[in-house]
Amino acid sequence: MHFKKLFQVLVLGGAFLGAAAGCAQANAADKDKKPPADAGTTDSSGGGVKGW
Amino acid sequence: MSSARRAAAEAWAFRARVEQEAALRFDRLAEVVASFDPDSPVPAMMRRAADDERRHTELCARLAGRLGNPVVLDRDAAVAAIAPRSLDERKAALYEVVAACCITETESMATLTTLLASEQDPEVREVLHAISRDEVVHSRMGWAHLSRESVAAEVAFLGPLVPGMLAGTIDAGLFGAPPADEDPEGLLRLGVLSLSKKRAVFLGTLEQVVFPGLEKFGVDPEPGRRWLAHAAGLR
Repeated sequence: MHFKKLFQVLVLGGAFLGAAAGCAQANAADKDKKPPADAGTTDSSGGGVKGW
Repeated sequence: MSSARRAAAEAWAFRARVEQEAALRFDRLAEVVASFDPDSPVPAMMRRAADDERRHTELCARLAGRLGNPVVLDRDAAVAAIAPRSLDERKAALYEVVAACCITETESMATLTTLLASEQDPEVREVLHAISRDEVVHSRMGWAHLSRESVAAEVAFLGPLVPGMLAGTIDAGLFGAPPADEDPEGLLRLGVLSLSKKRAVFLGTLEQVVFPGLEKFGVDPEPGRRWLAHAAGLR
């Protein structure tokens, strides 16, 4: 397993693709937006995605 | 039916459902990301990825059926958002992209490359090759989105949330004992890693690809590392 190669291909390769277009803009509305109240539900810490 | 064939049939059926969920998730995330980052290449990548995942669903389901575990997919399936409810829409999208792409798709890619380094039955190998060609892009689009957000927005909030992503990614038995009748060679021929190999790939990918990647873009990997040490009994 060549983890170093995976890092280069996936992480650095992805960053290159992301930078190829114009930069993302900070959204002032997002910064000012108050988060919705967290009702203390069981998903308050978030979940993950199953894979292979 | 041999233990390897039975276990592989279950694994491919599980993969079919995973791929179906991924298609639904990428369709949804493409719309959200496009709403606040219209110049991003990521939404278009996600729409193509959703089409890929629908194709993968069929490939995995067909293989599961040939191995003796016919898959009945719910054509009306929906996939729930996984981000904490306290996050606003943009942060929630970043959370979900990191969990689905930077972690899960990166782990899937490591699994596929590990499998393809060994011999498989021809039909299995054909499916693995077809899927691996697409999964590279599915992982990359997560890192592309995280890199863009690290420049335009605040991403440090993700650090303490990584353990929740990891806990939701693994099977409960990943750090347990393998089944008594496990046949590692037989599994490998049918496109499935033995439990010990699966664990090694999971750990190596986190430690050498995912955590360094998160750190590179400003997400503290230490909470994830602490979670991993505890879950894997490494401390």
